[in-house]
Amino acid sequence: MYVIEMKNITKRFSGIVANDDVSLGLNKGEIHALLGENGAGKSTLMSILFGLYKAEEGSIFKDGKSVVIAGPGHATALGIGMVHQHFKLVHNFTVLENIVLGVETTKHGVLQMKTARQKVTELSQKYALEVDLDKEIRHITVGMQQRVEILKMLYRNNEILIFDEPTAVLTPQEIDALIKTMRNMAAEGKSILFITHKLDEIKQAADRCSVLRKGKMIGTVDVAATSKEELSEMMVGRKLSLTLEKQPSKLGETILQVKNLTQKGDGEKNKLTNISFEVKAGEILCIAGIEGNGQTDLVNAITGLSAVTSGEIFISDTNITTAKIRKRGEHGMAHIPEDRHKHGLILDYNLAYNAILQDYHKQPFQKLGFLQKSKIKQYAQKLVDNFDIRSGDGIDSVVRSMSGGNQQKIILARETSASPKLLIAVQPTRGLDVGAIEYIHKQLLAQRDAGKAILLVSLELEEVMNISDRVLVMYEGEIVANVNPQKITFKELGLYMSGAKRENPSKSVEKAVAV
Amino acid sequence: MNKFLKGNGLSILSSVSVVFAGMLLGFIVLFISNAAQAPAAIATILTFGFSSLRNFGDVLYFATPIIMTGLSVGFAYKTGLFNIGASGQFTFGAFVAIYIVINFDFLNPSLRIFVALLAATLAGAIWAAIPGLLKAYRNVHEVISCIMTNYIGMLLVNYLILNTIFDPMRASSQRIPTSTHMPMWGLDYIFADATRASPLNASIFVAVFSALLMYVILERTTFGYELKACGLNKDAAKYAGINENRSIIFSMMISGALAGLGGGMHFLSAAGRTMSVADVLANEGFMGISVSLLGLNHPIGIIFSGVLIAYLQRGGFNIQPLGFAQEIIEIAIAVIIYFCAFVLLVRTQLGNIIAKIYRTISKSEVKKNAT
Amino acid sequence: MKKVLKFVMLFVAVLTITAVFAACTNDTTAPTVPVNIETATGSAETAPATGGTEMENEPVDQAGFRIALVTDYGGVDDGSFNQGAWEGIVAFAEANAISHQFIQPLAESDAEYINAIEMAVNSGAEIIVAPGFLFTTALYVAQGMFPDVNFVLLDASPEDENGNVHVGDNVVTVFYAEEQSGFLAGYAAVMEGYRGLGFMGGMPMPPVTRFGYGFLEGADYAASVLGLNQGDVTVNFTYVMTFAPSPEIAAQAGAWFASGTEVIFAAAGGAGFSVFNAAEAAGASAIGVDIDQAPVSHTIITSALKEISVSVYDILTEHFNGNFPGGQSVIFDASVYGVSLAMDTARFQNFTREQYEAVFARLVSGEIVPTAQSDISISDLNLALVVVNEM
Repeated sequence: MYVIEMKNITKRFSGIVANDDVSLGLNKGEIHALLGENGAGKSTLMSILFGLYKAEEGSIFKDGKSVVIAGPGHATALGIGMVHQHFKLVHNFTVLENIVLGVETTKHGVLQMKTARQKVTELSQKYALEVDLDKEIRHITVGMQQRVEILKMLYRNNEILIFDEPTAVLTPQEIDALIKTMRNMAAEGKSILFITHKLDEIKQAADRCSVLRKGKMIGTVDVAATSKEELSEMMVGRKLSLTLEKQPSKLGETILQVKNLTQKGDGEKNKLTNISFEVKAGEILCIAGIEGNGQTDLVNAITGLSAVTSGEIFISDTNITTAKIRKRGEHGMAHIPEDRHKHGLILDYNLAYNAILQDYHKQPFQKLGFLQKSKIKQYAQKLVDNFDIRSGDGIDSVVRSMSGGNQQKIILARETSASPKLLIAVQPTRGLDVGAIEYIHKQLLAQRDAGKAILLVSLELEEVMNISDRVLVMYEGEIVANVNPQKITFKELGLYMSGAKRENPSKSVEKAVAV
Repeated sequence: MNKFLKGNGLSILSSVSVVFAGMLLGFIVLFISNAAQAPAAIATILTFGFSSLRNFGDVLYFATPIIMTGLSVGFAYKTGLFNIGASGQFTFGAFVAIYIVINFDFLNPSLRIFVALLAATLAGAIWAAIPGLLKAYRNVHEVISCIMTNYIGMLLVNYLILNTIFDPMRASSQRIPTSTHMPMWGLDYIFADATRASPLNASIFVAVFSALLMYVILERTTFGYELKACGLNKDAAKYAGINENRSIIFSMMISGALAGLGGGMHFLSAAGRTMSVADVLANEGFMGISVSLLGLNHPIGIIFSGVLIAYLQRGGFNIQPLGFAQEIIEIAIAVIIYFCAFVLLVRTQLGNIIAKIYRTISKSEVKKNAT
Repeated sequence: MKKVLKFVMLFVAVLTITAVFAACTNDTTAPTVPVNIETATGSAETAPATGGTEMENEPVDQAGFRIALVTDYGGVDDGSFNQGAWEGIVAFAEANAISHQFIQPLAESDAEYINAIEMAVNSGAEIIVAPGFLFTTALYVAQGMFPDVNFVLLDASPEDENGNVHVGDNVVTVFYAEEQSGFLAGYAAVMEGYRGLGFMGGMPMPPVTRFGYGFLEGADYAASVLGLNQGDVTVNFTYVMTFAPSPEIAAQAGAWFASGTEVIFAAAGGAGFSVFNAAEAAGASAIGVDIDQAPVSHTIITSALKEISVSVYDILTEHFNGNFPGGQSVIFDASVYGVSLAMDTARFQNFTREQYEAVFARLVSGEIVPTAQSDISISDLNLALVVVNEM
């Protein structure tokens, strides 16, 4: 008998079927992976289990008995807990306060924290979940925040634990620790549902794996007996080459040069401290690091979205440190921004208008200040054809209505079509499905092979290792390593990313020239 | 046909239906107040504006200033700004225009009108530039600063009138010379009856022209492309190298210019309106918000919604002899106008319904074809 | 399927048009709708001469009315002219069972005042009261447009846009001797024992100025009656430049009270409320204006009245007796009880009704004639004892 069984679940969102007749069974004490691309319906299914959504059809059984889960409170009462992808913590409460929030022990209306503290301490020792109970959430690391979320579930005596993409924000070392914790908990009899789209983690952690594709359940397999290739084929629906074909890079002249860049922050800490590096033509330089270690600030400084405190930036031999954004573009810089909705697109403009976002002021798109609609449409149509951008109404489609992958293609098309010397791509594959990721990676390599300099910022270690020619690791606004991806392991990269290890920064500049 | 129903047709249909629903509700308000006279009252509201050419001229005359402030609000709205400062800009433009036609007697009258309107436009633009500058460089929300400039403008204009063009006999600004009334361009022959003509004048043409100009700027020029881009997504506009601060300021200035010109034209009409020195904000500025929203912020829509609101007001005014209190009339009209603000909601719902009907029909047609 | 959609669109369009036009045609058939609405369009055929058509509508059914008040932009509860005039109309109309109605214009402009008057005429009004100076131009036009309707214009004369005055045979203009009312207030204040006086006028308009000058002369007269020395009585004199209440006015009044002023005469409409507030805060006194303002504040020792309702009542009486004094300018002064001091609600300690009636009698008899001119300066007033600080 399953501890949880979901039978024939169907859920629709204004016409889109998010879950189509999905069934899933969870054994006691197992780690059950839920695999699927973005938008496959994993989170929807788990939200239904956690009581956040109500399924239109289908039923849920707990220990063989039919239950209707009315809301998260009810789910908790049934012993179901969930660690959301974006943590649900109160930032100015302490760890302990967050753990007991909602199930506080009180006596005559006064909080009794002592017993709570005792219980939490026991739990954290039992599962090796190291937390600092009296620190406020905003002062602890992301990894510890996740441990707090896990403790929250344990404190509530949850027996069924749902993890929604828990590894996305962690370093390799933290991922290892998490998997160990999950195995411990499973051994204690807890049942775990583990949402992910990373095949390696499934192989490491899970006992069984269910695969969702476009809202439909493709099947449940025994992980040990299934290869990664088979899993990915189930997920995507076709065979994929998991490794990229890559030519050795042919380095040309230096295109981007950053010298001693420093940017002051709001407080005492610098956002960026004394950053120097170069990118040459024909090279993909990747900036790796855990989110929030200054990558965004660095890109903003280079692209002109924010000003620098000191230091210089050159494209070829032109100093662009204080140049306007548009001037930087004229000097050959193109930018695929981190947040395509915030910076890359005007979602309520149509495809054609977005295609000329950087060039609307140039001939032939305008004449005497009037937009030349036929020229704009011609150009947009050309991009749509060349990049296979798909949308409901072609170039007249409002971009908001388009899929993430096709939105990203508009940006890619726009930014690469101006034939820039330097392409800055920040997390270009974030939130895209495997097919789109593959496409973007191929395009980046094609640009490299065409002699462009490419600065790639990525949080995905696999991406970092697969397509870059050289890797800089950022930690707390500094470059702490300059390495060749072929000569470094995931583990070692993880040490740099978490600040546990660092190279001599001055040496790294020399090495950069040498590579 | 399908495309029409998705786009303009749907807008028109939804506007018409909300107006109907609003009128029904307005009728209920009147009915509660005075059941016996309610049918006559609603009939008067609906027909009075069309009952004679002069009355219709009065409707258009009343519509002109609120079309101008409506365009002002609509232009700002299209570029992501909420200009509720149209009242202050309108007042400022009005004062400058009156001041000039009274004092610049070294210019011949028609030149004086021209200069006065130009100055009114500029005054509105300058007055609106203040919230624009504050928003661009100090990140002060324009709604807050617009409210403040409304009051400052009103009080400042009161002060200026008292010290320059005050008429102590009327506690208001002096009358403007008849020679500097807005030209009629023959409208006084058309919109007239046996007793007199409506004060409708050339400003209605200026309003229509302004609407067309607004449309061209927003839809056909790179300037409009920039302004709208800033309004829709400030960050993306900055990323694209657009100077978003400059865009915010220009948007506000154009918006203010429309309101200022509206104020100037309105007070140069032959209706004999002077600016009273009272601590009251110009209502036209706030009417502009309703007009703009009702017109879906589209320049052509704004013209029609301005006329509609003026039409209702005029009709409502004329049911006073039936024994309706002014307050009840205002509630009834407000209900109608308020209901019109649901137009967007209705548009979405109606769109869904039509889509559904459309689907059903095409399904049945497929079946028919199959058999 | 296209046909179906076309039909839906057509249906809505037809519905719109029929609704509008059905309602239009209703006008000519439905008796409940005022008959007059289409006269504007129909007048071209039926009008024997310009503006003469309206009389044909005279016997108006239940919807019509015979007496009308066209208000200025405020309502009939403005505590001033509108209210006074309306009270006069109601008192007369209810006593004589005559239909009456007030009309609020749509906007503050001559064109709209004329529209409002026209609407009243179309609804059967035979006499229309227009309260205040805002109607000067509108009445100039209306008196010619509607020669068979009588008009009462309060406190102003019909004049055209260039300032040419012409009072038609169907118009009576009514003025009030504000200087007498102000005189009584100033006299009473000094007789009561106050020595530090203040005058706050709304704006330097003739009626307001007459109140102020009368106040000064009344105080001066009382000083001479009491045998005071020059400078014993001082008067602060200013215009607050608005008729609306504001914190600044309260602050200014407070400052006056703090520096020795004991009572302020507030001839400033709504701005007076700020003065009363300041008086309450300072424990001082104030004098109201136009109507009896005693209920507004316990600091109001009396009010300088213009008997607007009395004047309207009187003229209505004459109209319905067939004696409408058309073309005349009537001044309501003490002799016809057109002005007075509110004594029934007064809060005097020393000033007695006998003293009041004595001085009132001297105004009636013409023994005392306060200055009625408003276009002179204070220094021209020949004040013997009172010292005026103009601010």
